[in-house]
Amino acid sequence: MRVFLDLMWFFHRHRTRYIAGITLLIMVALLSLIPPRIVGLVINSLTHNELTHASLYRDLLIILATALLTYGLRYLWRIMLFGGAIQLATELRTRLYEHFTMMSPEFYHHKRIGDLMAHSTNDVQAIQETASEGVLTLVDSIVTGGVVITTMAFLNWKLTIISLLPMPVMAYAVTRYGKMLHDRFYLAQAAFSDINDRVQEYVSGIRVVRAFGQEDWERKNFITLSRDVVNKSVAVARIDSLFDPTISVIVGISYFLSIAMGAVFVVHGTLNLGNLTTFTLYLGQLIWPMLAFGFLFNIVERGRASYERVQSLLAIAPAVTDQPGATKRAPSGSITYAIREFAYPETSRPVLKDISLHIEQGHTLGIVGRTGSGKTTLLRLLLREFDLKPEDGRILIGDVSIQDVTLSALRSNIAYAPQDAFIFSQSVADNIAFGNPEATRDDIVEAAYQAGVLEDIEQFPDGFDTIVGERGTNLSGGQKQRISIARALLQNAEILVLDDTLSAVDARTESHILEQIKTVRQGRTTVIATHRLRTVEHADQIIVLENGTIAEQGTHEYLWNLGGRYWDMYRRQQLETQVEQGGVEV
Amino acid sequence: MILEQDSITGVPNSAGTFRRLLQYLRPYRSKLILAFFILLVATATDVVQPLLIKIFIDQYLIPRHFPRVIMTELGALYLGLVILTAVLNVVQLLLFEVLALDIIQQLRIDLFDKAQEIALSFFDKTPVGVVVSRITNDTQSILEMFMTVLSTFVQNITILAGILIAMFALNAHLALYCLFLIPVIFGVMTLYRKVSAPVFHFARQQLALLNAKLNESLQGMAIIQSMRQEARMRQEFGQINNAYRRARYRNMQLNGLLLRPLNDVIYSLTLMFVLWYFGLSSFSHAVNIGVLYAFVTYLSRFFEPVNNMMQRLNFFQQAMVSAERVFQILDHKEMAPKTIGDTHPQISRGEVVFDDVSFSYDGSHDILQHISFTAHPGQTVAIVGHTGSGKSSIINLLMRFYPVERGHIWIDGTDLRMIPSYELRRKMGLVLQEPFLFYGDITSNIRLGNEFVSDDEVVDAARFVQADPFIRRLAGGYHAPIGERGATLSTGQRQLLSFARTMAIDPVILALDEATASVDTETEDAIQEALSQMRHGRTTIAIAHRLSTVQDADLILVLHHGKIVEQGTHQQLLAREGLYYKMYLLQQGQLA
Repeated sequence: MRVFLDLMWFFHRHRTRYIAGITLLIMVALLSLIPPRIVGLVINSLTHNELTHASLYRDLLIILATALLTYGLRYLWRIMLFGGAIQLATELRTRLYEHFTMMSPEFYHHKRIGDLMAHSTNDVQAIQETASEGVLTLVDSIVTGGVVITTMAFLNWKLTIISLLPMPVMAYAVTRYGKMLHDRFYLAQAAFSDINDRVQEYVSGIRVVRAFGQEDWERKNFITLSRDVVNKSVAVARIDSLFDPTISVIVGISYFLSIAMGAVFVVHGTLNLGNLTTFTLYLGQLIWPMLAFGFLFNIVERGRASYERVQSLLAIAPAVTDQPGATKRAPSGSITYAIREFAYPETSRPVLKDISLHIEQGHTLGIVGRTGSGKTTLLRLLLREFDLKPEDGRILIGDVSIQDVTLSALRSNIAYAPQDAFIFSQSVADNIAFGNPEATRDDIVEAAYQAGVLEDIEQFPDGFDTIVGERGTNLSGGQKQRISIARALLQNAEILVLDDTLSAVDARTESHILEQIKTVRQGRTTVIATHRLRTVEHADQIIVLENGTIAEQGTHEYLWNLGGRYWDMYRRQQLETQVEQGGVEV
Repeated sequence: MILEQDSITGVPNSAGTFRRLLQYLRPYRSKLILAFFILLVATATDVVQPLLIKIFIDQYLIPRHFPRVIMTELGALYLGLVILTAVLNVVQLLLFEVLALDIIQQLRIDLFDKAQEIALSFFDKTPVGVVVSRITNDTQSILEMFMTVLSTFVQNITILAGILIAMFALNAHLALYCLFLIPVIFGVMTLYRKVSAPVFHFARQQLALLNAKLNESLQGMAIIQSMRQEARMRQEFGQINNAYRRARYRNMQLNGLLLRPLNDVIYSLTLMFVLWYFGLSSFSHAVNIGVLYAFVTYLSRFFEPVNNMMQRLNFFQQAMVSAERVFQILDHKEMAPKTIGDTHPQISRGEVVFDDVSFSYDGSHDILQHISFTAHPGQTVAIVGHTGSGKSSIINLLMRFYPVERGHIWIDGTDLRMIPSYELRRKMGLVLQEPFLFYGDITSNIRLGNEFVSDDEVVDAARFVQADPFIRRLAGGYHAPIGERGATLSTGQRQLLSFARTMAIDPVILALDEATASVDTETEDAIQEALSQMRHGRTTIAIAHRLSTVQDADLILVLHHGKIVEQGTHQQLLAREGLYYKMYLLQQGQLA
């Protein structure tokens, strides 16, 4: 029940809605007392031959009026309470989404997207159920139960006590079954998840299964597991099928007691026949609240667990934030790296060590090195995806430390095309204009041309309006990369960062792109990290990273003449290209 | 026509799907009849109870006449019926639920059997999660439907029928009027289904959009943040979130208008009618209070089953979507290659001949073109070439994962297509590039399902590939548990295990897809040693990534864009100074 307290902030904010809803529920509970009462009155008039046309029609009209009023009120409280719950779910989803947009990459390293999705869908759904079904069940069972029992007591309190005698047995049985059901259900779920894992493994390893002729064995295995699921589900069904019959036995005994004892009261004249009928009809109305109370624990339990999960997610603070007093002015000028060492959070092995680097404004820097040598890390630090600790060094743009600038201002001046070019399920045009939604179609076409992807796009079924991404046309790796470059170019930022974004682009297109970048980005800084040395041959400065440190540094000519790592890598890549071409010299 | 209408309401041809699902009931006909019979009896004993109270009121309570014996008998009969009903209900509920579970078991086995025979291309094109979800989750939602249909619909309809019969017994005239309720309720249900289906469908669509947006945003968060589009994305998400909220709201409004509240109105109207009927009759002649009591009781019980059924209509729609997906797999046409003829040829020498084999996965783009070569018994043929040259396809065809449609593959002079699967799997051993380990222990991963492999043979196989020393060092030795995908073992150890697995069946022909992943030197030596041991005396078709491992091959094929561009021994190829030579130089450089 604590979850209701946890959700109090919402109930409080929407208190009019909730007070109105609960009031309506109480009114419905009171109104539902009327028809049984009327039935009793009619029966009494019938037994005493006092029924007249006028009284009959009056009674019928009362039932009709009650029915219509109840209909309206029932509809309204649903709107109030269930509508509130839908609102709550919507708000929680918004909060989660906004929270996600503020989280640093570190967060996404730890959390799996599947889990985050589950929190935003299943958990929110469970909370919604708590706020709708949960509130309804709680209020309804208390109100209806209370009102009905009180009315029954007014009719005849002795009979009420007698007829309610078997109810504790029902409460006991239902709780006990509930616990057994919970345990068995857990086992059945576990068996189900076993078979899920098994099928998952089977499908992933289908080649091994077929190569080794394991089909029969796998089939046996599958049947055993799925038999296990069936057996455990039957165990659940055993308890499940006890529920309703047990309740009907208890209710049957309750009816029996009230009719038998009621008859005694009728004979003694302390109760009339009509009231007895009314009484048994009320008794019928009690079954639901009793049952509902059993479900309530279930709903609330689930809701509490879900709410806790959502809360703990919302409680995580972003790792990188604006420093107090950070300037909103976008930094401009040369880039200076002065890093003593850097290790990713919660790891001890430094990925960068002793980096000292200066890039003049307007220059192009090439970063080369093997996978894992620290190229991407160097770029991510510039974007402040992670922050350097003060004692580990700093990065300056102009003479301003990037940590003294707001994230927004910093990023407004850097256009970044990351390694894995992410494409949204939107049109090509929207994808290119992603960072600059106000861009005109001409700008978009121009950027596409500069990134060497214009011809490709014109081949698409709907040109720039073709939907791409997961739910659209599939793009090749090279097309994705070039769209991502176009996207970065369209941002028109002072600093352009390409993180191995040309790896799947052929040589001819690559030189077109580099050429374009050179002309349109005159006077602005470009940083290119790459595996392929050819890409950065013409850069003003090239650094060769090895194990997180700068192994060689200089222009292409200088490095070539050095005859060291750069020279070695360059020669090998030439040969590789030849092999890819099928042995032809290029 | 039907299809078109259905796509508007969002209910995919549910009538046909439902009929097909019902077919699964057929083998259980006798069980079904038994369960139904018990249900009938239980309903009868249930429905009789208010009649007893009616008899008590009319014949004994009103005349104030209480003969002790009859009272005891009546009381005992009532309580007896209450208990009997409960017992019968437990039995029938259980029978129906077990029946539904049995049906799903059958459906799951059917699906699994289909998955066993379906072409590998299906698994290449369909994400693992989707296949798994079809076999487990979708069948689960069909199960829920069966439980609902069998336990809710069948039962509630029976109860309704029972109540109506009891009403007829009480007062045929009045009951006849009450029959009118059936079309009314049915009408409300149809109306609800008609009106709610598009709303329900729309809500599901919005939910799918919401999830897609969320998923995409989480995946592309780095880009969103670096391009400072957080605010725009929030706004876009907010729009979908609101659309979903409105859809849910509409859904709720409909439920409020047409489900329980409306049912209660119908109940009240019927109650009015019954009272009016009795009231009017009382003006002309004396009425039976007991009958009135029983009628009112029946009426109040009449609407519970109706509510139950209505509440579960949505279940039904979900199940039909799942069933449709399940049937899509069951109806998948492309099957794995089957053995042609029943001549049972055997593989004994291990000669492999590729005879002008061309192959394409998609039917338009040839991945292999006119491949011909011969591997004499005991020889090693190595295939080299860069990524995408078609190396793996040769193994795919040799292992009969895909059908050979153009050209022939001959094994010991027999067409590959005519060799029975059993023979093929026993005599041809495959070592995959990525060793795939199953959850279990070391022994079970070496033996797999081949029960003819004894424990000793498992150890022999492990010794043979030099896996024995590391296995013995593991806690538990040959029974050391292996977690999912063998995460506890190193890459090299996993490779050795997959070698042992192949050696345990002692194949005549070895298909080897060499691993590219680099492993530590110590294991690497063991792997190389094991590989040469394994090749000894076996025909080996090896895909090689490291040229150093194929230098002693009898024949090396150099593949480029699906064609053999060079072939010969290592020395011959080096002498040509062609593609192979360049690859060799390249790798030499890497080793230096």
